[in-house]
Amino acid sequence: MRLSLILTDSQECFTFLWPCVKMHYTQNGIVVVRRKKTVRSKYTFIEFLIFKFPLMFFVGLLYGMLGWTIVVSFTNWHGTAPNYDFAGFKWYRLMITLDRFHVDVANNLKWLSLGVIPTVILALFIAYLLELGSFRRLESYIRTLILYPVAMSFIVTGTIWSWMLDPDKGVFNTILRGVGLDFLQGRFTTNPSTATYWLILIFVWQYLGFSVIILQSSLRTAELREMTESALIDGASRLRILLQIIIPNIRSGLLILISLLLISTLKVFDIVYIVTFGGPGTATDVLAFYMLLATFQQHLVSLGAGIGVVIFLLAASIVIPYTIYAFKKWFD
Amino acid sequence: MKSRNRTLTILVVLTLIVLTIAYVLPVYVVLVTSLKTPAEISQRQYLLLSSNLQFKNYAQAFKLILPALLNSTIITFSVTALCTLVGGLGGYYLSRTRTRFSMVLFVMVGVAMYLPYQVILIPLVQLMAKTGLALTHLGLIGSNLILNIPLASVLMGTFFLGIPRELEEAAEVDGASKIHIFFRVISPVAFPAYVSVIIIIFTQVWNEFLLALTLATPRTQTIQLKLTEIKGTFVALYNLQMAAALITLIVPLVFFLALSKYFIKGILAGALKG
Repeated sequence: MRLSLILTDSQECFTFLWPCVKMHYTQNGIVVVRRKKTVRSKYTFIEFLIFKFPLMFFVGLLYGMLGWTIVVSFTNWHGTAPNYDFAGFKWYRLMITLDRFHVDVANNLKWLSLGVIPTVILALFIAYLLELGSFRRLESYIRTLILYPVAMSFIVTGTIWSWMLDPDKGVFNTILRGVGLDFLQGRFTTNPSTATYWLILIFVWQYLGFSVIILQSSLRTAELREMTESALIDGASRLRILLQIIIPNIRSGLLILISLLLISTLKVFDIVYIVTFGGPGTATDVLAFYMLLATFQQHLVSLGAGIGVVIFLLAASIVIPYTIYAFKKWFD
Repeated sequence: MKSRNRTLTILVVLTLIVLTIAYVLPVYVVLVTSLKTPAEISQRQYLLLSSNLQFKNYAQAFKLILPALLNSTIITFSVTALCTLVGGLGGYYLSRTRTRFSMVLFVMVGVAMYLPYQVILIPLVQLMAKTGLALTHLGLIGSNLILNIPLASVLMGTFFLGIPRELEEAAEVDGASKIHIFFRVISPVAFPAYVSVIIIIFTQVWNEFLLALTLATPRTQTIQLKLTEIKGTFVALYNLQMAAALITLIVPLVFFLALSKYFIKGILAGALKG
């Protein structure tokens, strides 16, 4: 049997992934395209050790540690030495009576809503605007412009922005004073009632480019383009096209983006740590930050573990449906 | 139609101006400030470029963070290399086997990818302290490895799913082993995927902060940790702070600017398929 390989740069299976490889078996001049067949999954012991074992080991370790944290949250471990005496829901009961916990939950809700909704709306606006006009050259400019923060750590972003937002020596207030707009000056992260919002703004700034990229990839399908074009010919306004054609058709892209942003805002800790350290007072405290303080500073390890479990449950309620959804899409 | 185009143009121009200010201004001010003397900074002309550029700020900042830079380099390179290898092998298994076990493992890996670090922090610190790994770079290497292998596996798995199986079947007919197929047939074809995964994992580990904060000793302090220390120590010396921030940023930024195509591919693969 003679084989001839034809490599084509086809876009159809995974548009943004590696070029698909199509293979044709030529038998006496007849081109036969082989059907997909599941590969036998027989692994020899050596192959098991090489392919499966490392992954299983690390994932097992990860879930083992998750279980360990859950166990710790039900024990009576405070102080530096481990103590595994069963304490039931003691620390959970303590947790819900703590004022700080209430502040944290309220702040986490602010992050979850204000970190996600404005980002998605802004990203949709920018992505649609780029789609409307054909600004090829402009697009690569905007992409680089708003995507570079993706490469930055929250620590770098936080270092820069905490100076920007400093009420006295900060860049914003200094510039505002310089151009005579003194009344616009703010206390930003030093005002307890608004501090969290400014931290969220930093997050939005950092994640905007990422969001635009994800939405763009779902906007750029041939069917959607055709639909938009024919609607435009029919005289529909661009706003109506956005609301009635584009948004319903990129539902899955929006869902993915929203899930990812929700998870990211839930995990946020670095920004709070570097910019305000939870302050003023506990005004900008979040669960992820308090977990660390409770465990490693107050040495209430079981309480810290309990907060960790709460974070996990919140994350799981977002992640598990998302993963199952992605998994189904994957194997279709 | 014409007025419509005009409003569109105005909208585009406005957006462009706002975005440019929002994303260029911080970097511009940081860059300009990092080249000033403290006296010049106190004059509060933040937008003006200094007439006498202080490149020695960078020398000073570099000297300060050099040990941390080396630690971060050791940790990030080791984690990236090991993660890519284990993730590639594991991802290959996940993408090519359809048993009940592999499906369950796949979902578990997918969920693990988004596990908040806080949830495993307490056992991790215990484990690293008990085994003594926390005293060396191995502690941070191991921890970062545990937390990044799910991501690497899922990313590699999605890329492998895009490679038709016919390629391996031909090799299988020739009697090649799985190991041979993986290293000689699949991996060369998946080269761009490896580049994407390397960039994503590298950036992630380089930028990692929580693990470094809880596990690093003075001997294994990473660059992100050093930056927070500099911010706390040299409170008013913004020139030094900003120079240090830029040095910290430069490695991932170069990756992003030079290989942005792969960077974006990696982001999308992680987002849309996992």
